[in-house]
Amino acid sequence: MRTADPPHAVTVEIPPVLAARRAGRRFGEHVALHPTTLEIADGEVIALLGPNGAGKSTLLALLAGGLEPTWGEIECRPGIRVGWTPQRPAHYGRLSPRENLELFAELEDEPDPSAAASSLLAEFELPDTRRASSSLSVGNRQRLNLAISMLGDPDVLLLDEPTASLDPPQRRRLWQSAVRQKERGGSVLFATQNHEELEGHADRVAVLVEGVLQFVGPFDEYERSGAVLLA
Amino acid sequence: MKRVLLLVQKDLRLLRRAPVLLATLVAYPIVITALVGLVAGYANAKPRVALVDEAGLPPTIVVGGERFDVAKTIRRVSKNVTLVRLSQADAHRQLRNGKVVAVVTVPHGFLSDLRGMLRSPQLELRTGRGGVSARVTQQVQALVYSLNRQLQSAFIRVNLDYVNALKNGATITFLGRKIDILGLERAERLLERLPPSRDRDQVLGFVHDARLALAQTDSAIRATANPIELVQVSERGRTWALSAQVQAYTLALTITFLTLILAAGALAAERDENVIGRLVRGLVGFGQLVAAKIALASVVALALGAAIAVAFGAIIEIGGIEGGEPWDRLPLLLLGVLLAGASLGALGALLGGLTREARTASLVALLVVLPIVFLGLVPSEIVPIAAWISDAFPFAHAVRLFGAALFDASPWGAVLREALWLGGLLVGFGLLARMAARRLVA
Repeated sequence: MRTADPPHAVTVEIPPVLAARRAGRRFGEHVALHPTTLEIADGEVIALLGPNGAGKSTLLALLAGGLEPTWGEIECRPGIRVGWTPQRPAHYGRLSPRENLELFAELEDEPDPSAAASSLLAEFELPDTRRASSSLSVGNRQRLNLAISMLGDPDVLLLDEPTASLDPPQRRRLWQSAVRQKERGGSVLFATQNHEELEGHADRVAVLVEGVLQFVGPFDEYERSGAVLLA
Repeated sequence: MKRVLLLVQKDLRLLRRAPVLLATLVAYPIVITALVGLVAGYANAKPRVALVDEAGLPPTIVVGGERFDVAKTIRRVSKNVTLVRLSQADAHRQLRNGKVVAVVTVPHGFLSDLRGMLRSPQLELRTGRGGVSARVTQQVQALVYSLNRQLQSAFIRVNLDYVNALKNGATITFLGRKIDILGLERAERLLERLPPSRDRDQVLGFVHDARLALAQTDSAIRATANPIELVQVSERGRTWALSAQVQAYTLALTITFLTLILAAGALAAERDENVIGRLVRGLVGFGQLVAAKIALASVVALALGAAIAVAFGAIIEIGGIEGGEPWDRLPLLLLGVLLAGASLGALGALLGGLTREARTASLVALLVVLPIVFLGLVPSEIVPIAAWISDAFPFAHAVRLFGAALFDASPWGAVLREALWLGGLLVGFGLLARMAARRLVA
């Protein structure tokens, strides 16, 4: 793995907000992610790049706690809340968007689940009807998926190809949310295959190929290095 | 606990939004119960039996002076079996190909043996293979028993006529010949007229003793012919359809189907909906997830069990049927239903965890539930191994618990024993389900 030198040599004493320590995952005989180390610092936005089947979703799921690592461990700073948007929408198809949001808000111990749901419905422009989520458009389902991950006011957002089904205005709004998250000191790790999304959004880039982390470094270093060819 | 309740509420809401699924899940076991009832009722159905009449039975026969209505006897037999008159060749062909389950042959010489009353006339019974043949044999034995009972009075009367002839003297016909019999009474009088001697006194003593002995013959012969008599008294109890056994089976079968499939499908559906990852990343533990499915199964079992128990109770009340205490025992029954639902829910959750996919889980649960139910229906006295296997699953314990709770005069021993079984199975299957649930995120 090639690791670029940071632009300014600063010794960081603060532990990462979330980190994978030689964490890996095997599904049966197939190794989806070889032991991988990746740290996410406060206020940092990291782009996770890699072709299909590279292990991006597996790494995000491990960091989110949705999967248990076969090897290594996931470290999370105590008291940190993590929001996770899986690549495939993860909500109950026969519940309405509001019912989904209220249910997950209660599970996230939101003090006012109904108010939290109303706020997210407005923010993500989701229909507040009794319609089942399964009958929503693909884009709306993805927005609901994103909205659920915003519940509980997370300190770290893990987004798995979040813009895949969004139209351009929705993409803009998503990146605005990511910027707001960064501005208030939160961190974002997003997986993408779209190189255009890196510029202006990512502080660092990590490249995964066939379950192996091939590159981790600042965006400009990524551009200079040959890692761009790998992703 | 709050999280478990939230998941149960969510599952109940999802269930309410799938009314066709819910109606099918409720109706299906009731239909299965009815079908099982029909199969059980087949024990009372009429198998097809061939009658080969080589003797040329007339409509009536006179035996020992008594007239027997042959046609009426055949009609009576036809209540239990469908009797079809066939030639010998046809009957045997149909027995071989299974169109009749048995052939009863009335052979040549049957009538002459019957009328002669010296040799037992013989009926020949030929049965095929299979479960029904034993029942047909029993029914034909019952027919022969019934015929013998009708004939025995004629045979007794003829025999008593011979005895009376020996006692009192008479002219009788034996093997077509007329015979004059002196009789013991007249012989005694003749002997008394002879000059006294030691020989005369000895013969006189024997004749006297023989007369006394023969005087007892009447009742002795009747008692010998019928050593034990069965007196049948009809009781105004429950019909078969409302019997304790059927009610307990209906309840157990319905909740077994429903809870097993529901719990298996509901757990696996968390993966199908792709929410399992969201849930287990700190919001809900695997144990809580399994507990939620067990609780869902219990709640649904309780609602359905209560509805069935109330329906049975109402029918019994309206019909004025005696036996059982449908209302007094309802709380105990519902506690049993709750426990059985939980135990079955744990088994369902285990299947859901192992199969990982709602459709596969439901199909596997359906495939698993049928053998479990049928194993529980096999009487343990007949196939002990079936009972042992059945003990490892909640269905048989649920049946016994419901039966005891509803109808035993002192139910506590049986209820406690079965409740302990169900509790043990709940813990065992629950722990296994918790382990299996981890497969959902694999």
